[in-house]
Amino acid sequence: MWWKIASILLLAGVFLAGLLVPLYPGLQVDNPEVLVPGKTEAIALRGYNTFFTQSSDSTRVWLTFKNKYALQATQVSATDNVTLLATFAVPAELPVTDHSMSLDVLVDDPLHGAMGLSSVARIQPKAPLQAANDSAWRVAEVRGLHKNTAFRYTILPNNYESIRNLFFHVPMWMVMMVMFLLSVWHSVQYLRKPLQLADARAQMYAEVGLLFGLLGLVTGMLWANYTWGAPWSNDIKQLMTVAALLIYVSYFILRSSFDEPEKGARIAAVYNIFAFATLIPLIYIVPRIFSSLHPGGEGNPVFNREDLNVNMRMVFYPAVLGWTLLALWVAQLRIRFKVLENRLMDR
Amino acid sequence: MTKWNVFYMLLQKEVVLELRQRYALSGILLYVCSMVFVVYIAAIKVPPPVWNVLYWLILLFASINAVVKSFVQESGARQLYYYQIADPSMVLLAKITYNTLLLLVLGILALLTFGLVAGNPVKDFPLFFLTLVLGSLGFAIAFTFIAAIASGASNSATLMAILSFPVVLPILLTLVRLSTISLRLIQDTAYWRDVVNLLAIDAILITLTFVLFPYVWRD
Repeated sequence: MWWKIASILLLAGVFLAGLLVPLYPGLQVDNPEVLVPGKTEAIALRGYNTFFTQSSDSTRVWLTFKNKYALQATQVSATDNVTLLATFAVPAELPVTDHSMSLDVLVDDPLHGAMGLSSVARIQPKAPLQAANDSAWRVAEVRGLHKNTAFRYTILPNNYESIRNLFFHVPMWMVMMVMFLLSVWHSVQYLRKPLQLADARAQMYAEVGLLFGLLGLVTGMLWANYTWGAPWSNDIKQLMTVAALLIYVSYFILRSSFDEPEKGARIAAVYNIFAFATLIPLIYIVPRIFSSLHPGGEGNPVFNREDLNVNMRMVFYPAVLGWTLLALWVAQLRIRFKVLENRLMDR
Repeated sequence: MTKWNVFYMLLQKEVVLELRQRYALSGILLYVCSMVFVVYIAAIKVPPPVWNVLYWLILLFASINAVVKSFVQESGARQLYYYQIADPSMVLLAKITYNTLLLLVLGILALLTFGLVAGNPVKDFPLFFLTLVLGSLGFAIAFTFIAAIASGASNSATLMAILSFPVVLPILLTLVRLSTISLRLIQDTAYWRDVVNLLAIDAILITLTFVLFPYVWRD
């Protein structure tokens, strides 16, 4: 009983915190600006969740190059809460003789904390430089940065607000795997000792696992629509998921196509174990061979340890627990229903 | 009789049975030929990447059709007789071995006929044959076991297809990748990793098959 209440409370907390807590302030840029050496240039920065008018007096802005060189803005002014105008006296001499330098920006003030964005501007000399001189670039050392300590979620380019889907999409998969594991466990139990209860459990855990798999697929497609530009992009993990769901759909077709229920239950249990064991190479080997758009995949490490900050973890782990308990509750109701149905059929 | 003697006799039985009911074997050989022909008519020009995919699809469908009869061509009573006189897992092993050989023959036949009508883009023949052998083995294990599962049901042919597609998907993806390498469409010197993966999948399948078969044949 207590765990049902716990699941409701956890999920209520996850929905409230997951949808209401804002993201950290961040910066956005449309096109990198091209700066000319030896001129005074202004760069317009767009803010996200920022209040520049409240803090512009103490705002400091740097253009940084390879984390080694920094150039502080001579003048900073806020047009409105989301637009910051920073003026730089670009030195005539550059620290490198490269044809063009790609610069990152760093904005710092007590209200927002330090915010960074890469590839904001490019310095393109008219003619290739003969010698490098970095004296003008070392003057403004970056010191005394502020840290935003408010309870906020990570802001990631491309993701923005959709990062909240982490609390819904990812737990769905974990719950699916837990349900399928329980289903296989009860199938093994059924083969060892053919009790109707074990079969009902195996069947119903598979059913709830399938439901959560579908939910995971749908939430994933919603997310992909925002971040990858299309709900379906033939990503290897999407294909693997469909294969995994197909296995369980055919499991239900298999068990319904036998005339004798006992035989159907036994054969279905065998297929459940067989298919689950082939699902493991499906999930663990195959996505390693093919490159994936998913985070952690080859060439796309979007989410790593730093990205999922402590605040997000504080909501993510309760979300996993809450969804798991909810799924167990649904499965328990379905199993009770099945047991009653079996009793009625036997009569 | 030793175990291997029993295995050899069961394998011989499979071959003799197949040669006696020649319509099944010639049927499946003709199936491969007509499928190759239909694919050729539909696509006339077959560039190597398409050739690669079509080849494995032809082999996949031919394999399903070749293996589906494994457990239904003989009557239930006769099957029971085999299980009485021999170890049931030996019966299964003989069927898997026979089906591997059959699929290998089908693969070579498909390669010859498809190569005849649509050209043969294979550059690395040793690797291609290794892929074919490992693929036949994987397909044979998975399909034979699924055929045993589906044999008791009323709609076994349909069931065979829907049960086996998701199960052989990892094998099929790895096979297509390996044969893409052997067609030199992509460069990859570390293809032995895929070979090891394929071997690992085959090993998982064969282990499971032997653990679970006792629960399937008992009726």
